[in-house]
Amino acid sequence: MSEALELAHRLLGAAEGEQALALVHSERSGMARFARSEVHQPTLIENDVLELQIVRDGRLGVAAGNRSDEDGIRALAARAAEAADSAPADPDFPGLAPSAEPPRTEGYDEEIAALSAEDQAHLAAAAIDASKLDLYGFFTSGVTELALASTTGLAVAQTMTDASVLALAAVDGASGYAEQTSWRLGGIDPAGASEQAVEKAEQTRGAVSLEPGSYRAVLEPPAFAELLTYFGYDAFSGLSLIEERSYASGKLGERVFDERFSLADDSLDPRGLPKAFDFEGTAKQRVELVEDGVLTGVVWDRTTAKRAGGQLQSTGHAPPSSARHWGPVPFALSVGGGQAASAHELAELVDDGIYVTRLHYLSIVDAREGVITGMTRDGTFRVRGGKIADPLVNLRFTVCVPELLADLPGLTRDPVLLNQSAYYDERYPTGMLSPAVATARFDVTGVGSGPGV
Amino acid sequence: MRELCEQAVAAALGAGASYADARAVVRRSQVVGTRNQRVERLDDSETQGIGVRVLVGGAWGFACDRRLSAEGADAAAQKACAFAKAAPGGHRRDLAPVAPAQGEFRTHLERDPFEVALAEKVELCLRAERALEHEHVKVTSASVRAQREHKVFVSSEGAATEQEFVECGGGIDALASRDGVTQIRSYPSAHGGSSSQAGWEFVEALGLEREAPRVGEQAAALLQAPPCPSQLTTVVIDAEQMELQVHESVGHPTELDRVYGTEAAYAGTSFLKPEDLGSLKYGSEHMNVTADSTTPGGLGTFGFDDEGVPAGREPIVAAGVLSGFLTSRETAAKIGSGSGGSMRADNWSRMPLVRMTNLHLEAGEGSLEELIGGVDQGVYLETNKSWSIDDKRLNFQFGTQIAWEIKGGELGRMLRDATYTGQTPVFWGSLDAVAGPEEWILHGLTNCGKGQPGQHAHVSHGTSPARFRDVQVGFKQ
Repeated sequence: MSEALELAHRLLGAAEGEQALALVHSERSGMARFARSEVHQPTLIENDVLELQIVRDGRLGVAAGNRSDEDGIRALAARAAEAADSAPADPDFPGLAPSAEPPRTEGYDEEIAALSAEDQAHLAAAAIDASKLDLYGFFTSGVTELALASTTGLAVAQTMTDASVLALAAVDGASGYAEQTSWRLGGIDPAGASEQAVEKAEQTRGAVSLEPGSYRAVLEPPAFAELLTYFGYDAFSGLSLIEERSYASGKLGERVFDERFSLADDSLDPRGLPKAFDFEGTAKQRVELVEDGVLTGVVWDRTTAKRAGGQLQSTGHAPPSSARHWGPVPFALSVGGGQAASAHELAELVDDGIYVTRLHYLSIVDAREGVITGMTRDGTFRVRGGKIADPLVNLRFTVCVPELLADLPGLTRDPVLLNQSAYYDERYPTGMLSPAVATARFDVTGVGSGPGV
Repeated sequence: MRELCEQAVAAALGAGASYADARAVVRRSQVVGTRNQRVERLDDSETQGIGVRVLVGGAWGFACDRRLSAEGADAAAQKACAFAKAAPGGHRRDLAPVAPAQGEFRTHLERDPFEVALAEKVELCLRAERALEHEHVKVTSASVRAQREHKVFVSSEGAATEQEFVECGGGIDALASRDGVTQIRSYPSAHGGSSSQAGWEFVEALGLEREAPRVGEQAAALLQAPPCPSQLTTVVIDAEQMELQVHESVGHPTELDRVYGTEAAYAGTSFLKPEDLGSLKYGSEHMNVTADSTTPGGLGTFGFDDEGVPAGREPIVAAGVLSGFLTSRETAAKIGSGSGGSMRADNWSRMPLVRMTNLHLEAGEGSLEELIGGVDQGVYLETNKSWSIDDKRLNFQFGTQIAWEIKGGELGRMLRDATYTGQTPVFWGSLDAVAGPEEWILHGLTNCGKGQPGQHAHVSHGTSPARFRDVQVGFKQ
């Protein structure tokens, strides 16, 4: 039994209630963050968060802490009990998850687990040394363990590793971006990411403006993944569907997107950042969200599945309890690949349009309609005659995502893994598998600053 | 906790650090959230630990440990030094001189929020929610929060401070939906309400239940309101949306670490350059922005920042001219001005960054009614709904929950889905009036993100409604 699961059982032993769920979330991580080619924010974190959910007469209370001594555990249990006693009973409370064997997943790499702080700094140095321009970004790696034990017999634990390098090569008037994420150290090449960012940056010098309007566009994987992530929060959540906030409301079963577009949530895929179970302890399962352009499903946790009624069951998408108000979250989106060998091939399909590397500061203007605004950055170009041409300044876009997805002339064959974690709060590595896409409609509504720092 | 911090600093110096500081933090938080008359969140969490920051050979190192013990303090110090020694780059970092701070600070409060029973908090939320109910309102929600943070700071230069901060807040939302259209109204702010560094009396004074019927009715009324037409026009913006306008287009660009590029990979940089100080025309003569970490009730109010620099009040924009930056000791030394005072860390497990403290748009004169009275044709915009701004903080687009047509100096019909867009200095240059002190409201937000690994800062902004000419207003674009 892992140390985290042992700790979860100790915590469970202190609970006084008819049902209880103990969760331990451990993190050992390091991040060497750099700017102008030197590390300026190096952060090493070690923490174990203990959480106890207690159910008394159908009333649920939650308390969390990070003390694992007996006094700390007793105090935490007392606070959880007080919280439960303070809540009115919820007739729709689904109860705690039953005991179940989680699926076997990959996602743990000894090499990452063995990295020392010095190793992490040296991997950051590998990225910096490979850049001819000032480099901004980070190398980070971590070991995260999630363990749950409950009075219903649940006893599950998973240890995960993750590593990411982010490289922004930038000077005044030029910037380029690249990133890599993997649960295996062998999947990360800091120098390669750095060189890719430099190559992109060199192409952005002399950026020109662009008239607002509707353009055909190529979106590289980081750009498309971020747009879909924002869209997916509401569009593919069971809570949003129940509350009629989702784009999918009233449209399940309808063909609403290009038939080349298929989307799933798949935490079990070894190409991603695999997870075996969610924060309620329910086994993860692959959920088809869009099949050949047809909206086919959304994700559920235990609470929303019960509230929706019928035969619905949790799909294993409960978020941490501190984010319960989000409802179930598709943390592992995966877009099916297309036929194109490269983004350059997509530019040929676009013929006349724009090419976007990365997005910045997205905001949902209308969740129900899927309207999202944001900026492009670090590699925006004009596409002319099917070739990448003039560099462009950063563009403001306001797009209706369903319209963008309604006509996709092409997608690249091999989706790549994009990091979707900004490492707020406790580390819980999430990523999305996305190809590059060509779209017939990308609405540019303004222009901003040029590339570079 | 002070002894542990002293031990950590001594251990860091022993391991080769030329400078070290240690922060020991114990934070307790409670969140109660209800949604459609069900308790959605009833959480009581506590976290504690020590964070040690060192300079070794001019390179920073930071490490933390959850154990508030001698072992934890030593381990954090040793790891921070090892990380700094391994850091690549040609390092040289100077810190602006500051007298070693000694002192205490404590939030002034009347009613300790942790003495208020959780059941009372739940009941408050449920009552406010019931008052939101309306035929077309499909989702009602209410939340309240409380936080207490005990923090001890010790540096190798002899600083030693002890502070205790208490925050409270709350908010309500009504989501109306009909025929595929959804609209939301919130009070007192969108995105989780408003918070203050105060006791429970702040939450009681919000009057969530009192305001709820208006909020529910407006959400429902928006379903039938026409969309805001696209036009170049005069806008009057309410104090709550002005809070975000100040935050995004003045606060972040004047953070000096962004100006020097250290946030480039994530939050972005700034259109400002160090040499712009004292000369750059940021806005019209009506624009006066002040950074003030002494504001009573402000979430950015403290006795000392996380480098031990005492609280203060500094002009950032004076009569439209850039007059100051938000700084750390390192960036202040770099620009050769000031001694920092804006360094704040999210809890014990993060390194301090340059953050806004309390950043205010100083009041002008007159009432909101008088601002509107000065508009022949325009739009009044209220309560944030969406927000986005480019990586140098130039091009922005904001959406508001509700708007009203202004005709002949009076409010007319309600409009939905309004957005407005602009370029920061052009927009602020079009500012032609700020309402007076009687309209000035202090808002507190808890979701300001920055840094890698990410950090949330709690920040307050005092603002009055303001009027801008020739602004591009649109409908979801």
